[in-house]
Amino acid sequence: MNSQVLLSLLEVLQMVGFVAFVTLWIEAYLYVHFNFPKKSWFLPAVLSVVPFAVLLLVLVAVGPVITVGQAVNIYLYSLLAEALLSSFFRYKGDKKLALPYMLIMPGFVGLALLIAYPLVFEVYLAFHDLKLTTLKVWSETGYLPFVNFEHFYDVFTKSPLSEVSFWQLLGRTLWWTVVNVFFHVAGGLALALLLNNEIRLRGLYRTLLVIPWAMPCVVAVLAMRGEFHSEYGFINIMIGRLTDAFPMLAQLGMHKVQWLSQHAFLTCTIINVWLGIPFMMVVILGGLQSIPKSYYEAASIDGASRFQKFRHVTLPLLRPVLAPAVTLGTVWTFNNINVIYLVTGQSGGTEEADILVSALYKAAFTFNRFSYSAAFALVIFVLLAVISLMWLKFSKGTESAYD
Amino acid sequence: MTELRRSTPRFKWGIFAVHAALILACVINIYPLLRIISVSLRPGNRLISTDLALIPDGATLLSYVSVIKNTNFLLWLWNSLIITVATSLIGVILASTAGYAFSRFRFPGNKLGLTLLLGTQMIPAGMLLLPLFLMVMKLGLINTYLGMVIAYSVSSLPFSIWILKGYYDTVPRSLEEAAMVDGTTQFGAFYRIVLPLSTPALAIAFLFNFTAAWNEYLVARVILSNSAKYTWTLGLFELQGQFITQWGMFAAGSVLITIPVLMVFLYSSKWLVSGLTLGSVKG
Amino acid sequence: MASVTFSNVKKIYGDNEVLHKVNLEIQDKEFLILVGPSGCGKSTLLRMLAGLEEISSGEIAIDGQVVNDLPPRDRQLAMVFQDYALYPHMTVEENMSFGLRIRKLPQEEIDSRVMDAANTLQIQKFLKRKPRQLSGGQRQRVAIGRAIVRKPKVFLFDEPLSNLDAKLREEMRVELAKLHKKLGATMVYVTHDQVEAMTLASRIAVMHAGYIQQIGTPIEVYSRPDNIFVAGFIGSPTMNFMDGSLETEGELLYFKNEAMKLRVPFPLCEGAEFDRNAVVLGVRPEDVYTERKLDKNLGDMVRAKVEVVELLGHRKNVYLECGKSRLLATVPALFKTEEAMFLWFDMDRVHLFDKASGKRIC
Repeated sequence: MNSQVLLSLLEVLQMVGFVAFVTLWIEAYLYVHFNFPKKSWFLPAVLSVVPFAVLLLVLVAVGPVITVGQAVNIYLYSLLAEALLSSFFRYKGDKKLALPYMLIMPGFVGLALLIAYPLVFEVYLAFHDLKLTTLKVWSETGYLPFVNFEHFYDVFTKSPLSEVSFWQLLGRTLWWTVVNVFFHVAGGLALALLLNNEIRLRGLYRTLLVIPWAMPCVVAVLAMRGEFHSEYGFINIMIGRLTDAFPMLAQLGMHKVQWLSQHAFLTCTIINVWLGIPFMMVVILGGLQSIPKSYYEAASIDGASRFQKFRHVTLPLLRPVLAPAVTLGTVWTFNNINVIYLVTGQSGGTEEADILVSALYKAAFTFNRFSYSAAFALVIFVLLAVISLMWLKFSKGTESAYD
Repeated sequence: MTELRRSTPRFKWGIFAVHAALILACVINIYPLLRIISVSLRPGNRLISTDLALIPDGATLLSYVSVIKNTNFLLWLWNSLIITVATSLIGVILASTAGYAFSRFRFPGNKLGLTLLLGTQMIPAGMLLLPLFLMVMKLGLINTYLGMVIAYSVSSLPFSIWILKGYYDTVPRSLEEAAMVDGTTQFGAFYRIVLPLSTPALAIAFLFNFTAAWNEYLVARVILSNSAKYTWTLGLFELQGQFITQWGMFAAGSVLITIPVLMVFLYSSKWLVSGLTLGSVKG
Repeated sequence: MASVTFSNVKKIYGDNEVLHKVNLEIQDKEFLILVGPSGCGKSTLLRMLAGLEEISSGEIAIDGQVVNDLPPRDRQLAMVFQDYALYPHMTVEENMSFGLRIRKLPQEEIDSRVMDAANTLQIQKFLKRKPRQLSGGQRQRVAIGRAIVRKPKVFLFDEPLSNLDAKLREEMRVELAKLHKKLGATMVYVTHDQVEAMTLASRIAVMHAGYIQQIGTPIEVYSRPDNIFVAGFIGSPTMNFMDGSLETEGELLYFKNEAMKLRVPFPLCEGAEFDRNAVVLGVRPEDVYTERKLDKNLGDMVRAKVEVVELLGHRKNVYLECGKSRLLATVPALFKTEEAMFLWFDMDRVHLFDKASGKRIC
């Protein structure tokens, strides 16, 4: 344990050092450019590439990350890029801009490397053929056969998993999103309205009610999953006891159910609704509390009933809080892999509950269909983009009705 | 006075109904947690039972001893801690400077950058996982902390930048101007005046990064396959997978993890929410 | 100590020129006040001197050295901000010594300067407190103290009194005057309050719409305003203006409108260009008399109708209607007002302006 601790600390140090070095390099790069705007391109280029060269040397020395030939190549390319960039900055460089660019650069380089580049890489993968059989060749030589639109065609015709089809997944995803978001908002609104009364123990209720959101997601989902176990889960135990006590219920068709294997989608939905309500509740409660009391008093004086107050004061004023929360919630629900994977992800798990994103995850990492899932991911991305755009248009349209 | 008395009876029933509804909701929301606690206290021979009592007969802490002694639980926690702290530190440092630039400077790309940050929130996390995994694999960083930190480091960055930008916006500019007239550089004014004043926001950003990485499961599942490098989420899932035999240990481990997380969360949830809505409303 | 020179200084935001070729010379040890309505560019000018705003064109020099490209920290100035800008996380002492610590002065030097300043401003008791534990007036003192300890070449004040209540403002005004006397330093002070300008300044620069309208000692600006804007801005209550025309009858010059015909007993400026048919006569309320005074050079009689009378205690404000224009006269409190009355203007202290250009023509 002791040497392991040391080793891991060393690794963390190495990692922070790495980030610090990259940051330093970027800063040196910007500093050199913006502070020699009048000199020729050569000096800035050489100066700012030096730390980069050191980094490459270290990478070569440390181990099997890159080879010497690759390092030289990368270095030459970066020198060329430098020359171009610095001659550009020579004419365009504005010293005042140095600081803001230096400040945002490390973060944005990180985002570019870890979000933008993977996106591009995904497009590359989708048009090539990477699977378990070609993986070894690819990681050694970098060669991948080009397959055109084949994977995109497969996405719509072959199952991402073993039987469920793309169209089934799509339908289920939309249904899943609508049902979940509806119950999140309805449940959240109901609880928030209850909590917004002047009652005792309000703080305690609020604290207890956010617990599903506050618990680590993995624990919460696994715990709930346990409650759906066919023999030892709370639900079936209760059903068993009820039917024992009132045989009439059994005659009405109440009986123990194989939740996890036969009704996986329903189980996942129930668990996710349970998980998502507290967030909406907190957001809506915040919105409710920001509505000045005087509006309700004015409405009372005007003779509004409770419902009318809710309809004409609460709802419109809740809208600025609700609209972004619903948008966010929709995206989260659409993209929610966690619940479904944790409930059905183990070997032998069912495909009954899968939605697009969880099928994507399983296709990539359970079935190892790399390129196929890259294409699949792009399809989902486009779908989501189209839905978002439509939603934006729609919400803009309703906005003007209120203003 | 008469007005008040007349409305009292109806009012009382209303209050009663509100309390009843809230208590019901509370029970539903905390029951799974209570059940986990109850299972963790069960003695070994009756781990599996259809008993619903919250404090089981012959309650014992044996499961806790065994999850610490017989599994890698402590190691998993340690792994999680290292990865999470490194991730959060990097995230907060990057966000603190970027947020400042967005709050204080007008530069070409200012608006675009902020919009792009919001845009990244729309990208399905599962979508980037595959290329990220392949990159980490190519760099030979599978089963390393470094690989995990790289994969995690920017996931909370856009949100952190928005939170910090929002907070910096509330710090009066004249403070920095005063500092600059007093003799600091612009950057000096940032780290001597603005940063110390922004500790609450920095703490929130750190906490947000921390919880996100601490509770993460899917990325870890992909990058870590060696059980000695597991984070606690992977470890617990494994324990729970073998449902029958290790149910007690799973429950004990869950309780050990959940209690501190709950406390931190409940303490900070107010700010987290305001930050969440801030980030989305302003966009 | 130091002098400051602005030569042809411009400030342009995008397409919007907010300062037009400002020229201004501030002498050593002078208390110069930039005064004008909000949005006139006075704060921008001050901030350009401090280095907080960029100079679009022209030059600013301190002691003959051009400082256009110097960052604020190298200009050896100290500034007091409108909202005081005290660092909330530092104590009063730390606030005051911040600039000295940045410059790495020896600790004894820092301590003695802070103590001196604290004694001068009587804030010794608060040195260990945080700014939020202080009242507005105390914060103001700390902000000034933070400037004093720096021993700067030039002190800059950006509306320092506008966040204080009226009584405190008067007190601080006196303190500032004392301070200037004691330190003998060059001070540049921005305010929109012409009372502050009149009471504190060695010289006033009146600004409007991005131009300096007039520079001069308070008494010059008050008694010989260069244009209608300055005449109307300086002085409280404000000057009365009447439209009319100038006519010559024989040798004599008359100001005429529908309600009056006044002989103008003084010569007009030589070379002044103006339209005789559209001029403005300005007279301050205290120069309007309701009875003949032999010791004043009163002009011809004017008939006016009383609209409202306000009693201030020692004086009365009488609002009058006189033809198309409305006049204010401040008269002794004992004066008995009737519905219609006769007025005389002190012709030594009336002002004539061209209506179109606003420029003074006498």
